[in-house]
Amino acid sequence: MALNIKKASKNSSGDARTRLLDPSVLGTLSNLELVAKMVVEGFVIGLHRSPKFGFSQEFVEYRQYADGDDPRYIDWNVYARSDRTVIKRFLGETNSHLMLLLDTSASMGYGSGGVSKLQYGKYLGASLAYLASRQHDAVGVMLFDDDVKEYRPPASKAGSMQGVIHSLDKAEASEGTDINRPMSRFREHIKKRGLVAVISDFYCDAEELLENIRPLAMNGQDVILFHLLDNDELSPDIKQSTLYEDMETGDAIEVDPVFMQKAYREKIRRHIAAIEESANGIRADHILLNTNEPLDKALHNYLTFREKRG
Amino acid sequence: MALIGPLFLLGLLGIGLPIWLHRLETQVTERELFATTMFLEPAKKRIHVQKKLKYLLLMALRILFIVLLVLAFTRPVLFAPPEAQITEDTTHHVIVVDTSFSMQSEELFTSAIERAREIVNDLESEDVGSIYSASTNITTITSTTDSPESLLLALDSLAPNNGKLDLGTMVTSLNTMIEESQANYILHVISDFQQTGQAVRFADMIPDVINGRPVSLAIERITGENTPNWLVDSVLVSNRETIEVGVRGFAEDSSQRTVTLAINEIVQQEQEITLGGNGITFVTFESVIFDEGDNRINISLSPNDALAGDDNRYTVFDNSPPAPVLLLTDNPESLSVTYITAALETAPRGYEVILQTIEDLDARVLERYPWIVVEDIGAINASLANAINDYVSAGGAVLAASGESSLGLTSVPVLGLDVGNISLRAEGRNPVTMIDNSHPALTDTSGWGTVNVRALPIETSVEDRVLVAQAGNQPVLIERPIGRGRFMLLTTALDNTLSDLPVRPVFVSFMAEAARYLSNENLLIREQVAESFLQLSIIGGASGQVYDPDGESLLSLSATTQAQDIALNKTGYYQVFTPGGEILVAVNPDRRESDLTIMDAQVLQNWQNVVAGTTNTGEQALNSQAEITTEDAEEQEIWRIFLVLLAIIVLAESILGNQHLRVKTGTL
Repeated sequence: MALNIKKASKNSSGDARTRLLDPSVLGTLSNLELVAKMVVEGFVIGLHRSPKFGFSQEFVEYRQYADGDDPRYIDWNVYARSDRTVIKRFLGETNSHLMLLLDTSASMGYGSGGVSKLQYGKYLGASLAYLASRQHDAVGVMLFDDDVKEYRPPASKAGSMQGVIHSLDKAEASEGTDINRPMSRFREHIKKRGLVAVISDFYCDAEELLENIRPLAMNGQDVILFHLLDNDELSPDIKQSTLYEDMETGDAIEVDPVFMQKAYREKIRRHIAAIEESANGIRADHILLNTNEPLDKALHNYLTFREKRG
Repeated sequence: MALIGPLFLLGLLGIGLPIWLHRLETQVTERELFATTMFLEPAKKRIHVQKKLKYLLLMALRILFIVLLVLAFTRPVLFAPPEAQITEDTTHHVIVVDTSFSMQSEELFTSAIERAREIVNDLESEDVGSIYSASTNITTITSTTDSPESLLLALDSLAPNNGKLDLGTMVTSLNTMIEESQANYILHVISDFQQTGQAVRFADMIPDVINGRPVSLAIERITGENTPNWLVDSVLVSNRETIEVGVRGFAEDSSQRTVTLAINEIVQQEQEITLGGNGITFVTFESVIFDEGDNRINISLSPNDALAGDDNRYTVFDNSPPAPVLLLTDNPESLSVTYITAALETAPRGYEVILQTIEDLDARVLERYPWIVVEDIGAINASLANAINDYVSAGGAVLAASGESSLGLTSVPVLGLDVGNISLRAEGRNPVTMIDNSHPALTDTSGWGTVNVRALPIETSVEDRVLVAQAGNQPVLIERPIGRGRFMLLTTALDNTLSDLPVRPVFVSFMAEAARYLSNENLLIREQVAESFLQLSIIGGASGQVYDPDGESLLSLSATTQAQDIALNKTGYYQVFTPGGEILVAVNPDRRESDLTIMDAQVLQNWQNVVAGTTNTGEQALNSQAEITTEDAEEQEIWRIFLVLLAIIVLAESILGNQHLRVKTGTL
């Protein structure tokens, strides 16, 4: 009997962790920062304190304080003893910066389940921001649709993460998508090398996307494309002819079930493959995410990506 | 009904149904938001458009269906101008051709048609005409038309039948059948004008004034002399081996003829006889051999006379063995037993009376008999009363009389009716004053008025039907239904002590009718007059087939269970097949048609004069109404057209609907 109780307890803790990463559960939380913490903490618990990914808070070394460093990490004891301002470094600390580019076009507002793609993107962005802040990375954000809606440069100062989360939180889906203009403006603003995470459904031409991302890669940015698609976009299942209205253009097209089950799936598969191919061409990472699935896949891929890029 | 009638408009609301259904169908294509349509392709346009068109067509058909349905039920009419323009200057010739049986005599009918043709050919250009045939029934052959060709064509379709013409019935019928208009009417009656065709009431032969205008009568007599004729008038079977045939003559001179007897189409005997000119000559055929069951007796005269149709007479004789009847009595030697036995054994059907004393009766034998006779209801004891009650409740029938033993009763056994004190004085016999002739047992009996009875004073209950009564409403014969059976009680004796009924002629016929009624034998009259109707309900509804004398089946499959009667148009034997077996019905022309004596010329002249007198009166009325020139529109019912269209629409809707469903199934 005792054994059974123990097993039940273990299972329930595992279920709880999984549930924390479930988008539908996260959707019930109104505070995006809380969501991010829950996602990351839940995710980290699942990693069993793996030092490989640098999430432990174990001290590694000191280094000289430099402008832009977060004063919170100055070791004041050392300063008192030696009058030197040094920064504590921990295992897994990268001291890089992360730029989140979140697509807020109207198509991101689509969601067949409880969470839209934009909402999922917000969760993802917030989680990445939280994760990055734990690694003392500077985090910035840019919201865009057919133009730049909001831009917050990367920063690791206290409160910068909250600023990023606030920006993410107030994002709303609207307008159409034109990746040229916002990416062009982003390239103008980004100076330092770092990591650029683009969160979008990428309803654009793969060649066009490539043309906009390539300069970033050429400029030394590490680009990761989080490709968000709803389950109904990946595997639509309709029983009768349906008139679909485009959320961005308002155009309506009547489609029959046979097309959606065969031709459409083939088309979307080709599109995803083309995006992935474009990403691979510039050594960017492409992560396809089904918005009905938990966020741990996204975070896992992100950390793997970070690991690969050192 | 007008097209703006409230019911019609209410019915039209029904078109909302197909529209609603159509909307339900078209809502199949739901409008949904989708992230992008960049990877979508519209469904094949051709199929889509086709589908839309089919939907619209289907809806249109359904709406048409409802509209036509409403129109069919509201039966609107179109107002169309009459075919012929009729004014007060128009003469409408109503040509009535006698097609009764007597017109089969020699060339009478040919002459009648020729005369009718002459009338048609003499029509003026502005005249119109209509043709009717007159026999037992008056039939419209053509409605009013100004086309002589149509009238001549209609005359070709006429033929004499086996019916009887009554001039009174003819004129009365025409009064309602003739289409009324402003025209001057001339009624041409083309007939042999038999004496027997004259109406009982002369007034019935006067045509109505139509629309204020008189009807002129033109008597077209096609023969001026009496044609001699003989017919087989009667056939009577006695003792199951003798047939007495009566041959009636309507002639001045006698005639030598051969009378032939055929039983079931086999000639058994022939006799050469000399027929008198006027009157009946009887011929007797002895030692006739009948088959068991129905026999077809055919008596024929040869050579044929001018009217050959009545030289044959068809009769049916039922040679079934006598049916057994149980007679319960306490005294087998009584006069009542003698009278009852004699009456039943001499009935046309023939009954075998089984005499049984009450004290030796085993009540279980009652159920062997369809009906029983109780000679004296007062003689039965309580246990037998119960047994009889059970027997009747189970479907049996009883005819009980009230003999001497009943005089002391205070209550009638079985029925439980209270009995009062009966006077034993001789003057207690009183005549019968009331007879219910509508009862099947009394329909064909006459002579009750001469019967004097001393009746048991009983007080009937509401269940009892008094069939015969004396003065003071004292019941003589009552009937009470008990369960599935019937109980008839004579409140007097049948031994000539309390009543003289057994010695009156009516007794035999009453016993025969009562026996037939109580034994549930079919009430079908085995001999019918041509052009009459055979009531199939009498033989328990059709539920079978009827064949005419030519062997043609008369009822369609559906009619075999629904038809209530059939017209007997031909002479000969009609075979009626019922679940109970075959029944033969012999059909002969009306005897009165065989009398070819024509109406006196003076009578015809009087008739014409009387009608002409009406004409003068009518002309006065004509002047007062001369200003009326309104054209009557003729109502033509078009609802039948709608019904035909309705059927086509339903068919198209079904086909299209099925096709549509097939397409829908294919896309999923």
